[in-house]
Amino acid sequence: MDASELQPIVQFLQQRVPFLSLDEEALLSGCRSLTIGYYSKASAFVPLDPLHPQLYIVRSGAFEVRDINGELLDRLGEGDYFGFPSLLSGEEASNRVAILEDGLVYHLPPEMFNLLRTKSREFDRFFNKAFAKRLRHQGRFKAKELTTTSRITTLMSKSPLTIDMKATISDAARLMRKSRVSSVLVIDNEKLVGILTDKDLRNRVLAEGLDGSLAIHQAMTTTPISIESNSLVFEAMLLMSEHNIHHLPVVDSGQAKGIITSTDILRGQSSQPLLLIGEIDRQKDLPSLIQVSKQIPLLLQNLISADARAEEIGRVLTSVTDALTRRLIVLNQQILGEAPMAFCWLAFGSQGRQDQVACSDQDNGLLLAHEPDEAAEGYFEALSKAVCAGLDECGYIYCPGDIMAQNPKWRMSLKKWRGVFHQWVNTPDPKALMHCSIFFDMRSVYGPQSLFNGLQDEVLNNTKDNDIFLAGLTGNSLTSTPPLGFFRKFVLERDGSEVKGIDLKHKGSALINDIARVYALSAGIKEVNTAKRIRVLMDQNIINRKDALNLADAHEFIAHMRLSNQGYQYTNGKPVTNYLMPKDVSSLVRHQLRDAFKVVHDGQVGLKLKMMRSY
Amino acid sequence: MKRFYLKNQLRLKSFRAADDVITDYYRALACAISKPLVDIPLMAFDLEMTGLNAQFDQILSIGMVPIQNGMLQLKDADYRLVSIEGSVGDSAAIHGIVDGQLESAISAKEAMHWFLEKTQGHVLIAHHAPLDLCFLKAEIFRCFGEKMTFVSIDTMSLERARILRQHEVIKEGALRLDACRSRYGLPIYAAHNAAVDALSCGELLLAQMASIAGTEELTLSDLLR
Repeated sequence: MDASELQPIVQFLQQRVPFLSLDEEALLSGCRSLTIGYYSKASAFVPLDPLHPQLYIVRSGAFEVRDINGELLDRLGEGDYFGFPSLLSGEEASNRVAILEDGLVYHLPPEMFNLLRTKSREFDRFFNKAFAKRLRHQGRFKAKELTTTSRITTLMSKSPLTIDMKATISDAARLMRKSRVSSVLVIDNEKLVGILTDKDLRNRVLAEGLDGSLAIHQAMTTTPISIESNSLVFEAMLLMSEHNIHHLPVVDSGQAKGIITSTDILRGQSSQPLLLIGEIDRQKDLPSLIQVSKQIPLLLQNLISADARAEEIGRVLTSVTDALTRRLIVLNQQILGEAPMAFCWLAFGSQGRQDQVACSDQDNGLLLAHEPDEAAEGYFEALSKAVCAGLDECGYIYCPGDIMAQNPKWRMSLKKWRGVFHQWVNTPDPKALMHCSIFFDMRSVYGPQSLFNGLQDEVLNNTKDNDIFLAGLTGNSLTSTPPLGFFRKFVLERDGSEVKGIDLKHKGSALINDIARVYALSAGIKEVNTAKRIRVLMDQNIINRKDALNLADAHEFIAHMRLSNQGYQYTNGKPVTNYLMPKDVSSLVRHQLRDAFKVVHDGQVGLKLKMMRSY
Repeated sequence: MKRFYLKNQLRLKSFRAADDVITDYYRALACAISKPLVDIPLMAFDLEMTGLNAQFDQILSIGMVPIQNGMLQLKDADYRLVSIEGSVGDSAAIHGIVDGQLESAISAKEAMHWFLEKTQGHVLIAHHAPLDLCFLKAEIFRCFGEKMTFVSIDTMSLERARILRQHEVIKEGALRLDACRSRYGLPIYAAHNAAVDALSCGELLLAQMASIAGTEELTLSDLLR
């Protein structure tokens, strides 16, 4: 017998995580050890023999796993697995597997299951109980250096200037002048045949006294050195320096997809965060700041394509926002004069938490050292209006909820801010609780730290060990739950309903932010960044180490998925949203996301136990 | 009744069999079919032939996979190529077997010996079983001079009976293996050779048994139509 006998089974398994990690021999022996059963809806449940645990691999049909209390744990379709927890733990299966649709199931016997675990670490890891509990092991979290690992698609011109091979040299020169570019791609029958650059016009036309009415192919570089669109910027740089050229056509199977020049690469470097922030600090007026801020979306795309950690991306983008805000304050003070008193520019919400991403709106306020008189009020109104307008023009749109320093409601003295927070904490009505997710994640972007501390210390004093407030906040944060996982083309919610896509922000990241916030406020922790909050909570033993690491990993993983999804949407010209569609998710990522959701769910359950015990 | 008659017939034939392997075959089969259905070993199999006429077309390959306790046992799945006289000719296009591959083939007599040993004590399962059995009988008669009696379940006639029971019209092609499988939500396999088709047929029988078992207690006689 060789592989061709079991071909349909081998083919099916070798595309599945974790079977795809097995070598051919191991996979084949695995296939050969299978038995195949068919389960009919008429028998209601899959009979799980406690004495003979095995790995069940769903080939067709649909199944549902419920725990001993009848709570839905998972819904399974083609390519999903069940039965492995008892294989790993040796404990009797307590879950029940209901048959929703008749289906074919492969059974892998325990001896082979254990053998395959020794053959492949990934196979072992996948099924190991520890896998579901701990996400931190993937190389995917490793941040890489920016220029070397980003893809050329982020920098290249996607609609390159082209000209037909039959055109004349003068035609080409005029086209280049009109489009203000230094090169043109020469096309014959939709295929790239050559390139004509400024240098060619100088060396091959002018210096040789060639007639401009001659056909272009006499002057162009034929079959130029080109690069594929999925190459790295690093590779493009290498090619250019190797061949001493400045223009690289981007070609996929003969067709010109774009062009990348040494200037593009230089520009790409300038959108590195440090250079960008330096540039912001150098600008002398609003129009030039607006110009510089146009590089921010590019910076985000660069960071995403370089596979940087989501947490770092958030912090980098937020430091750019902070720098822009500070620069706007300084520039406007140059016009308006010195401030009549000390003040802090407060950032709330995502800017406060340092997890800003694409298309963030403004959430800010102004904290004044003391009660302003009419003149001071006029000064700060003018200042905040100018800064908010400037931010808006730089791409940070006005807050739809009007939580901005230019709104007199959120431009107050220290005493009044304290009063407002005091009221939210002591009468936590629904509206106050809604404000919490924005206002309690606050940070000072500009102004004396001592002034800001005067507010934050007071707020944390109020919230610390304030059971009624914390229970209210917890209740509010539990109104939304993470999904259970995926089933076929759908996202499976905890109540068993199926929806088309998942909102990674509101059903994922925001829930972890909520959990970290409640714990942080309960313990009087000053950090507002979610990852930092979790770290401090772990150090102070408020959350145990394992749960804290899991929560931090889930937070990073979900945020990472959200960013890479947005990067995918952006590069494919789709509207940028927080929605992830199951069809865009690989089978490995499905399992990983499912584990991350489980961590969020466990976090919510733990929070509820701790904060809502007596209510 | 049918089973009783069959058992006697097998016993009688075992005394007069021309070869030991055939004597053993009848004895084991008579013993197997006296068991309750769940305990009877089944063997899903498929043949590929050079044509459809058992008189002058030849067997090219044989695939089989056993069913025990209601489960297909892949570890005992097996496959043989059979050497033929002349060339594979036109049917190579269908089966994907080319003359060169036939080098690993065994002779028709070896193949029949192997088949009888492998399927000893098993009730045979095939899709449109009469055709495959016809080829086996002709070949075994040529090799051993024995007019074989097999006990077999035909998944195609099970399916025909099921459709007719539901008072539905049988459409053209509705009884083909893949068409039957898709009615039970079974996956369609791209490859077709004797081994894969034996597997396909075995899976179909499991699905058919599950659907019949849902309504009544199943016996071998129910399946031997």
